[in-house]
Amino acid sequence: MSARELILSALRQGNTATAAGEPNDAGAIAAAADALIADLSLGRPRLGEGSLPMLFERQITSPKVAASLDKAASLADVPRAVDIYLTTHGLAREIALQPEPALTAMDWSGYHLHEEVKSDTIVAVGKALWGIAETGTLVFHSGPHSPTLFDFFPLHHLVVIEASRILGYLEDYVAASMGQPVPRNVNFVTGASGTTDIEGTLVRGAHGPRFLHVILVEDS
Amino acid sequence: MDAVPLHNQPTVSDRPKVALYVTCLVDVVRPRIGFAAISLLEQAGCDVSVPQSQTCCGQPAFNSGDDDHARALARNVIRAFDSFDHVVVPSGSCAGMIHKYPELFRNDPVWLHRAEALAARTYELLSYLVDIRHFMPKDVTLHASATYHDSCSGLRQLGVMEQPRKMLAAIEGLSITPLPGHDVCCGFGGTFCVKYPAISNAIVDEKARDIENTKADLLLGGDLGCLLNMAGKLHRRGAATRVFHTAEILSGFGSGPAIGEED
Amino acid sequence: MTTASSAARSSAQASDPFSIPFDERIKEALDNKTLKIAIDRTTNNARDKRAAAVAAWPGFAEARTLGKSIKQHVIDHLDHYLVEFEANALRSGAKVHWASTSDEACAIVIDLCRKAGAKSVTRAKSMLGEEIGLPHALEDAGITRVETDLAEHIVQLAHDRPSHIIWPALHRTREEVAELFRANHHKPQNSDDIESMVASAREELRGRFLAADVGISGANFLIADSGAICTVTNEGNAELTTTIPRVHIVTAGIEKLVPSLSHAMVLLRLLVRSATGADLTQYTTFHCGPKRRGDRDGPEEFHIVLVDNGRTKMRNEGLADMLRCLRCGACMNHCVVFRQIGGHAYGGAYPGPMGSVMTPIFNGLEKSHDLPQACTLNGSCQEVCPVDIPLPTLLRGWREKSWREGLEPQIVRQSLGFWAFGARHPFLYHIGTRLAVRGMRLFAKGGWIRSLPLASGWTRHRDFPKPAPRTFMEEWNQQQRLKAKG
Repeated sequence: MSARELILSALRQGNTATAAGEPNDAGAIAAAADALIADLSLGRPRLGEGSLPMLFERQITSPKVAASLDKAASLADVPRAVDIYLTTHGLAREIALQPEPALTAMDWSGYHLHEEVKSDTIVAVGKALWGIAETGTLVFHSGPHSPTLFDFFPLHHLVVIEASRILGYLEDYVAASMGQPVPRNVNFVTGASGTTDIEGTLVRGAHGPRFLHVILVEDS
Repeated sequence: MDAVPLHNQPTVSDRPKVALYVTCLVDVVRPRIGFAAISLLEQAGCDVSVPQSQTCCGQPAFNSGDDDHARALARNVIRAFDSFDHVVVPSGSCAGMIHKYPELFRNDPVWLHRAEALAARTYELLSYLVDIRHFMPKDVTLHASATYHDSCSGLRQLGVMEQPRKMLAAIEGLSITPLPGHDVCCGFGGTFCVKYPAISNAIVDEKARDIENTKADLLLGGDLGCLLNMAGKLHRRGAATRVFHTAEILSGFGSGPAIGEED
Repeated sequence: MTTASSAARSSAQASDPFSIPFDERIKEALDNKTLKIAIDRTTNNARDKRAAAVAAWPGFAEARTLGKSIKQHVIDHLDHYLVEFEANALRSGAKVHWASTSDEACAIVIDLCRKAGAKSVTRAKSMLGEEIGLPHALEDAGITRVETDLAEHIVQLAHDRPSHIIWPALHRTREEVAELFRANHHKPQNSDDIESMVASAREELRGRFLAADVGISGANFLIADSGAICTVTNEGNAELTTTIPRVHIVTAGIEKLVPSLSHAMVLLRLLVRSATGADLTQYTTFHCGPKRRGDRDGPEEFHIVLVDNGRTKMRNEGLADMLRCLRCGACMNHCVVFRQIGGHAYGGAYPGPMGSVMTPIFNGLEKSHDLPQACTLNGSCQEVCPVDIPLPTLLRGWREKSWREGLEPQIVRQSLGFWAFGARHPFLYHIGTRLAVRGMRLFAKGGWIRSLPLASGWTRHRDFPKPAPRTFMEEWNQQQRLKAKG
């Protein structure tokens, strides 16, 4: 017997011994699984009072997530917001720009742009697909316009997110992506890279970005 | 003390017939705790008996995986306490053991029934006094500061936590200093402390330091096994902390000798 | 560097820690003064953060019950979910492999590495990898193994074994880590603050990420309805491990399944808060199949190895509850025994309460029967478990088996038998206790006994109070007699 058959047959033998009499067809199992999460609010942490962008801002800038955040009135204002960040941090106007049409369509004159992110990239600018207020999370789907390594190579990761893309709970993301093809990678980014591996002390910039900066676009 | 009618216990009179389960350690090392328990139960309106055929609850055997002996001892306890309204134990771990008897008889319907019935009637002393008898000590004075350790079986298995604190708050002159790690095991663990003495010692040493740091005069708790462990360590370390079972303080025995003090 | 002979006697470095008796492993741990400092620094922090996270979450108890039900549902229908997961994973372009044993699992991984012509592989920390002995298997196959999790990197440099499932290098103080980096890194830190050390490790490992031919990760969840696998990290090392090399291999225990992404969200909340007190780890990634058309990065091959290694046996033989485990580490952070002896003394891949339940499955009860015994059964592990695993009950289950199989020492068996005989005969018992009290009093000085024959386990470390002159039963019976006389 193959390992697959061995494992499945051992499990099925155990089924008859343990769950005798219970409906075991796929439909009944799926129904039982759905019933478990029929009430999504069960045991869920409560979002505070306020609009979703406000709650998102509060969470992502809280000490737990510790990202910095700036606001831009519209997508067209993003290059200026990036410039403010670079100037504040004494960084050159040289960025890896995620090949996302909404970003590449902006006016980046005065910037030295790279289309690819490299292991030694200092600053990368990307755009998140969703934000989640509950946890202060930025969601990225991998794809031709969103290489995964944009989120992990740079030292400074600047992320544009539109206020209209902010969701409440983790489950709201599931609902928002329901029925669409599952991307190769779904990346939930909740803060800059960190480690507590030496004596439990949190230090940022372990392997991924040391700095996460969010540009919240209020009107899009 | 007014007896309070009990819910779902129509056969229990206002003056319940209560059997005291003394426990091995109280019987052998510190009988005062047994007498303190009887005094409190009588003040709380109980008719107290001490069945003569009681011995060990079987916990050392059960925790060692020796189920045959544990069952034999459990049968002895079940027989000894069959005819009482309530069984009250001045120890969370021994009361907790009786609550586990049904596990031992899961394949024996006759004894399972008796084990379940006994478990349902068995209480740890301090929680019994407050939850069932709504008892509060009256006119007891003790000028001292005390800190409190929550023994694990009582705390986690039987939910004993607020009850002793509530009653101690009614003792005049007694102040309670919280113990950091009050809900962390003291390293006793029954047979554990003699099977793995080095680990047990490391745990109780840390506990003793926490107790000493509170600067309290007294250490109180509800389980003699844990109290002996902590008292023995405190004494070996040369600490002056005096150790009592909570029942002793509540019944006014706090003016007597603490654990390890000569009569 | 450690010599072969000293390595054989150290439970941190021995290839078979069980060759060192448990008592010696305990002694080694308790004698190591920096170990206790290191354990306290990390576990105190972890306990405080978890407590704060739980206190700030009014729905925690409800979520815990729900998490438990979700995992239990999956364990009850594991065959169904495995088949569903496999079909969806295959559809995503992944290759699915099955392994009954740890050896089979390692052989599959080594074979995939060889087919990929791999000289160097990066690994993102996976407890399953440790459990099946993958690090050794890779080395034996002559494949360069690069541990990318910072703690695993420290463990690799020190030639140690991991000592905690969340913080594998918990046993090393910052001073020791500084020393290791100075001895091994190309560009060691200039100063010994933790930030500089982390920066040095980042620099050291970046090149290794780029040079790897294969990346190996574990999985925190396998999502049945999409065939995706989920990894949870704070450092970002998992994504650098899985995205850069040409081949990504996932090794996962078959119990890691969840029905859907929604179910995973419930468990993620419980896992992360219980482990580190955060709401979510910095990086939570769902990986579904290999690189797609138009993708600029990602692995060309994506393999998933589903590993049994005793799990079907656990499910069918009374340890099904243990399969709910999310590997958060809360049970060990709150265990008084773990906090004294640390992880290495346990000997297995998993330490602490959950390790003491599982190690007898992986290493055999005969070698590891001490682990379920070395526990005070205080119940705090179950109390903090995010899926309510009855760890004390499961540990006692092993004790019962140990007793039946005669693995416990004769002296323990005889003493208990003697005690039980007495306790079954109340008349004899009460005579015995009267004699015992009188005998014990002979050893007392002042109110205390400093040394007592047959009780050195107690009196070596603490005093025992002098018993009262007479037992409670004697005293009570006399009072009753006096009362009757009036």
